[in-house]
Amino acid sequence: MSQKRRSKGPGPSQGEDGAAEEDHALTQTTSQVQRNLERLSPVQVDQKVSELVQFLLVKDQKKIPIKRTDILKNVIKDYKNVYSEIINRAGRTLKQVFGLQLVEIDTKHHIYILVSNLPRLEGENLKQDDSTAKLGLLTIILSVIFMKGNSVKESAVWEMLRRLRVDPGEKHDVFGDVRKLVTEEFVRQKYLEYNRIPHTDPPEFEFQWGARAAKETSKMQILHFIAKIQSKDPKVWTTQYNEAAAEMAAVGGPDPGTSGDAAGASQGARRRNH
Amino acid sequence: MSQAAGGGDSQQGRGPDSARTRRQSFPSNGAVQRRPEGGRSAADGEDEEAEEEQAGESSAGATDGDRTDRRMLRHQYRQLIDRVQQNREDMLSSKSNSLTEALQEANKLFSGVSQAREAALDAQFLVLASNLGKEKANELHSEMTVFDSPAFAEDLLTFMGLNRLEGEENDSDDDGITGGFLPNNAWHTLGAEAERYFRRAPSYHYMLGSFNADPPVPRQRIERQKRNAGAEEKRAMPAQLKKMEESHQEATEKEVERILGLLQTYFREDPNAPISLFDFVIDPNSFARTVENIFHVSFIIRDGFARIKLDQDRLPIIEPSHEEEGRQNDQSAQVRNQAIISLSHQDWKDIVETFEITEPMIPPPAVRQQNGS
Amino acid sequence: MLESCRMATQMTDGHRRFLQVMMSHGIMEGSVARTLHRDCCETHKVYYAHDKLDDFINVVNIHLQPLFMQIRKGRSEDDGRIYYALVNLAETEITKMASDYTENELELFRKTMDLIIISESGFASSTNILNLADQLKTKKMKKKEAEQVLQNLVQDKWLSERDGEYTLHTRCIMEMEQYILSNYEELAKKCNICHSLAIQSQLCETCGIAMHLPCAGKYFSAQTEPHCPHCNEFWPHEIPEINRPDSQFTSSAPRERRGALPSRTRRH
Repeated sequence: MSQKRRSKGPGPSQGEDGAAEEDHALTQTTSQVQRNLERLSPVQVDQKVSELVQFLLVKDQKKIPIKRTDILKNVIKDYKNVYSEIINRAGRTLKQVFGLQLVEIDTKHHIYILVSNLPRLEGENLKQDDSTAKLGLLTIILSVIFMKGNSVKESAVWEMLRRLRVDPGEKHDVFGDVRKLVTEEFVRQKYLEYNRIPHTDPPEFEFQWGARAAKETSKMQILHFIAKIQSKDPKVWTTQYNEAAAEMAAVGGPDPGTSGDAAGASQGARRRNH
Repeated sequence: MSQAAGGGDSQQGRGPDSARTRRQSFPSNGAVQRRPEGGRSAADGEDEEAEEEQAGESSAGATDGDRTDRRMLRHQYRQLIDRVQQNREDMLSSKSNSLTEALQEANKLFSGVSQAREAALDAQFLVLASNLGKEKANELHSEMTVFDSPAFAEDLLTFMGLNRLEGEENDSDDDGITGGFLPNNAWHTLGAEAERYFRRAPSYHYMLGSFNADPPVPRQRIERQKRNAGAEEKRAMPAQLKKMEESHQEATEKEVERILGLLQTYFREDPNAPISLFDFVIDPNSFARTVENIFHVSFIIRDGFARIKLDQDRLPIIEPSHEEEGRQNDQSAQVRNQAIISLSHQDWKDIVETFEITEPMIPPPAVRQQNGS
Repeated sequence: MLESCRMATQMTDGHRRFLQVMMSHGIMEGSVARTLHRDCCETHKVYYAHDKLDDFINVVNIHLQPLFMQIRKGRSEDDGRIYYALVNLAETEITKMASDYTENELELFRKTMDLIIISESGFASSTNILNLADQLKTKKMKKKEAEQVLQNLVQDKWLSERDGEYTLHTRCIMEMEQYILSNYEELAKKCNICHSLAIQSQLCETCGIAMHLPCAGKYFSAQTEPHCPHCNEFWPHEIPEINRPDSQFTSSAPRERRGALPSRTRRH
């Protein structure tokens, strides 16, 4: 596909034709890709792989999911016919060198994120900066969403945050514009989904977990977080515990991060559709 | 399993809305249909009320006092409904009597209800309250601990090191927010704990290579020192200021040319696909760059090297003029429209969001000169 | 497991965890890195030898090399302590996509770097830096914004600040040393003792050679009357106290934001 973006309206069909065109070059059989590879020098392909790894690391700085379109435009360029090989090898490098996993969170629009394969340890000395603080805020919101049935009204979130001295209408010392952080930054990062509740007038909005949240953590993890804060056994919340356990079993084992391969399965993170 | 919880919630969520829908269809004067979707404001409601009030008055012949009482009653109902909606969590809390209190208050109000309009409000409140009651009961019945968000909030505050000593005085807010001060690093403490429940990839940061390595100021100074003073006449101090002025202009021209080049390249690559003006000029990483791009593109348009049109969705697209056409247009000065574009920071963000622009089509000039590693 | 050649190059989860924590911090003091080395190996039950940190890091570096990344070992100009930093080695189309700083913030940083490097002491005053804010070519900045940028640069360890004066952070020097040496030509000073780039230094008032404070401290420690190692003139600066390297624990405990830096010998 050319570098040019289509003029597109905000309608649902945006980018579809572009994606289709792209797919033509990208959906080739393994043997076709192998044949294409033979025509290229291995050094060039290696370099593309390294460039892609660098690109993915750089693009992850702000935790905004990475689109395949951007990968093609900025890195792959003339190597589209071996794209699948390059992305698979980049995924392998990330795993082998960094202990990171390249996860496709949207198989339709081909959107990727990086998550760690290594569970964090108690007392692990990671740098604490403002993004650490934001993660704390996010975890509270994810907790409330999960515990309240996987979807929660915006007003309930603000009510919760106000109890924690965070007022969405005021500038916060650490978070700045809280409303923006929650309804824009977390949403762009795909930690949260923020949607209008249909048929509400005046419009009301609700939050759900975003695809990144489902990959970086799990219901069981969040339940354990809540249990730790409230000094309780996670099993006391029977319904939620069962739900979390079922999710764990569905994903395959207690270690959601290590399952699935780089370009691997993306499960629909949202259960409920309106 | 999860469906049960989700479904329950959605019902509660919809409950008050369906009540409202019912209420909206209540008056028969067509005011509801006229109301633009999503744009219902308090003022709208009052208008409608006034209209209806008049209608009611003429038929029933109500007295002034009656009317005031009824308005007062409706006002109280609405306040009650608002309060219940805004303190939903408190209503649900197992430790709180707020829901019971609200019901008692509604009972009192109901004793003054004599007309359908007030009765409708009462019904609306009851739907809301019964949904909350159902939710509360559900949680109590599930033979286990209820997730109590106010209690969770209290425990979070404790975890973050809330100093509860002071707080009796000012913080007597209605929703029972406890007073006291959080330490400066409260949120970092919580975040560090949260980190353990995530598999967040640490991110990679660096300084070298994030900007262009064109020669910095002092180096030029050295070079100047190194050269023969005689040959350097041109660079003498007074002339330098003028030079700067010129180089500014030069820079603009260069940039305009570069952007035109980009536009032509994109177009040549795929002549049939229109280029969205937004996609072209918006730099999702920098509002400033966006404004600069618009500034530079305006020269291209002014000089007739490209034009802006609307596509079938009435969104602006940009396309280069044909090679010769550019200058010709300039001469004949075809129908040329002037437009002033205003773009606020918020507009910019909205456009980035709506059009999902993730990459600038016009890379910052910095990127242009790099040459591999 | 015993094939030594395999052990020499194969990465384990221990290496990966070490690298991840390095990424998170960017720079780490030697003793902290050694503790981390031990913890990573113990967590993942892989081969550990307390004196083999550099070999351990070298394995990581072999794998980082094609990505133009490296865990580099260096010394702090403040106290001569060893540090490890994860650095980028290349300037490419991709590295320019970094999003930590905007274009004009980077310009402010570079101009600050200019001021620091031209200065004798290796420090630039905040007043001088803030005066640059409205001369930026990319986009002017308000003083308030510039102050915030400086604060972020300190937090991210590209600059360090003391009493309203700024110098380059060890992390920055470790990553940018080559860049500075080649871009600032002879304006950039090299230490007469260790021959690496010297930002904060003492200069001989006669012949102009430079010495890092810790290098000077070490060099002069045995001399009762200090003389320039180059021209033998009297060394007119206060001799910095030497910090026995790594003998004391740095308090690079969890909270590192805006942490106070270890006190330094008086600047000349």
